[in-house]
Amino acid sequence: MKILTTIKKVVDVELTINVDAGAIVEDGLQYVMNAWDENAVEASVQLKENNNAETTMVSIGSGEDTVKALRRGFAMGIETGIQIDDPALANADSPCFAKVLSAVFEQGDYDLVITGKQAQDTDNGQAGIMLAQILDLPCVSNVISIEVKDDSHISVSRLGDAGTEILDIELPAVVTVSDSINEPRLPQMRGLMMAKKKKINVMDLAALGTSVEAVGGTEPQSEILEFMKSETRTAGQKFEGDAAEITAKVVNLLANEAKVL
Amino acid sequence: MTKILVFADIKQGELKGSTTELLSKAKQMGAQTAVVAVGNGIQELTPKLADAGSDTQYLADDQSLELFSGGPYAAAVVDAANQFEADIIWFGFSESGKTLAPRVAAQLNAACASEITDIVWEGDKHEITRPAIANKVIQRLKINTERLVAVVRAGAFEAAPDISGTENPIQLSAPPADLKAVIRELISEAGNEVDLADADIVISVGRGAKDQAGVDLVRELAQDLNAGFGSSRAMVDGGFMAHNKQVGQTGKIVAPTLYMAVGISGAIQHLAGMNGSKVILAVNKDPEAPIFNVADYGIVGDLFEVVPILRDEIKALKA
Repeated sequence: MKILTTIKKVVDVELTINVDAGAIVEDGLQYVMNAWDENAVEASVQLKENNNAETTMVSIGSGEDTVKALRRGFAMGIETGIQIDDPALANADSPCFAKVLSAVFEQGDYDLVITGKQAQDTDNGQAGIMLAQILDLPCVSNVISIEVKDDSHISVSRLGDAGTEILDIELPAVVTVSDSINEPRLPQMRGLMMAKKKKINVMDLAALGTSVEAVGGTEPQSEILEFMKSETRTAGQKFEGDAAEITAKVVNLLANEAKVL
Repeated sequence: MTKILVFADIKQGELKGSTTELLSKAKQMGAQTAVVAVGNGIQELTPKLADAGSDTQYLADDQSLELFSGGPYAAAVVDAANQFEADIIWFGFSESGKTLAPRVAAQLNAACASEITDIVWEGDKHEITRPAIANKVIQRLKINTERLVAVVRAGAFEAAPDISGTENPIQLSAPPADLKAVIRELISEAGNEVDLADADIVISVGRGAKDQAGVDLVRELAQDLNAGFGSSRAMVDGGFMAHNKQVGQTGKIVAPTLYMAVGISGAIQHLAGMNGSKVILAVNKDPEAPIFNVADYGIVGDLFEVVPILRDEIKALKA
């Protein structure tokens, strides 16, 4: 079984994000692998360890931070790494990413694509599902377990609105995973050292056999006009001291000041 | 006139409040409204779908649609969108909506937007607003396609009290089943508890509750108030709470009138799922817990001591 995992570098959401004149202030930002992609990598590596799957990851992006994310994937146990580095994709939207990924898929004869359910920077959660639509493959989102049945079938469970849904899927297929699926391993020193020596297969759109026009990069379906700082909540009234006294006070405030009880 | 199609959010045969909220917003925008309802035995919901604010009801009602399946459900929405010639297709915030929207958008060659909080659709001006980066920033986007498919963030739009519609049901043919992704079993976690998405008050329990006894203590408070009972990730991972009770970016996003975080420290993923609430009360032993930075009212104290007093005080208030 050949697995393709998609990974993306994202801004570290634990840090403060500043906005100035409609744009995010780059200064002081740090980038990490998208947390849900770490779950996707872990799921792939487990399928390698338990089911002899071959693992490949792909990341669309430029610069040292994308390389760093790929190195982390190697250190976690992924065998092959592809970087799609093309300046024409600087402002790509989700459907454009999905078309680029579909070109990667077509080149590799993959059985299963595993993506994180969404990226922490855009919080869109679209590219994986759109990839399946483009390739006309079965797709299940928000997956919390993957079990290999045979060479051409897997069974997955997903968290749906009505409960946990268990599905049988015919391969090739696309699944997007939730963080409930596993606890991503921390790369060990040895893995990190080995990851530095691994070769990343860097391609631009031409090498991928496509073009910026073909992936819709020249006519994005949506464009970001501006960023604004979120309205942040501010700390209200905090009470310490005798539990009975402060609890009674807060109940009174909820009823008479906030009028929500 | 703009035409807005809303995907009816139906759970266990009941129409959920988000559908009315979305239709209310559509009517405020002066749009022509329709709903698309997909399921088994949903025909009888037609009057309720109309009351929720729709003037046309597209119904895909078939035994094969009893359980959620992405392919056929998306096909039904695409069918309705094409018949209605919808400009905008809206989903309420749910797992179904999140997984259907990109499918429908790809098939209609429409732009797709997740978790929108506002929209401008006048003449040539087509813009949406949405949060990104775990709610830390707001994006304003321009939509370049003629049609838009969007998931609306929980609590973004309010239901209008005087909303009404007309019954005009149109049957859709049942889409073919997805033979490559077959749903074999549904393990329902629903029970008879209050739905988090609809609750006016949501009370969530976190690591501070320690074990099942602590969880049960907080649950009793939720029952007193007929509140939705949610959880932080820690208590789900610990096996004390069901997956579908997790409040946060990866679980349910809620925006109730009152949110009580009990024994929850306030990790960023949790905050991103509840900081749209009108009023937030936090109970935590640690005065430095990040949850206090977003709470309107904070009680620094041990939940095992505070929760029984809260119950008594609230009972006295209601009496």
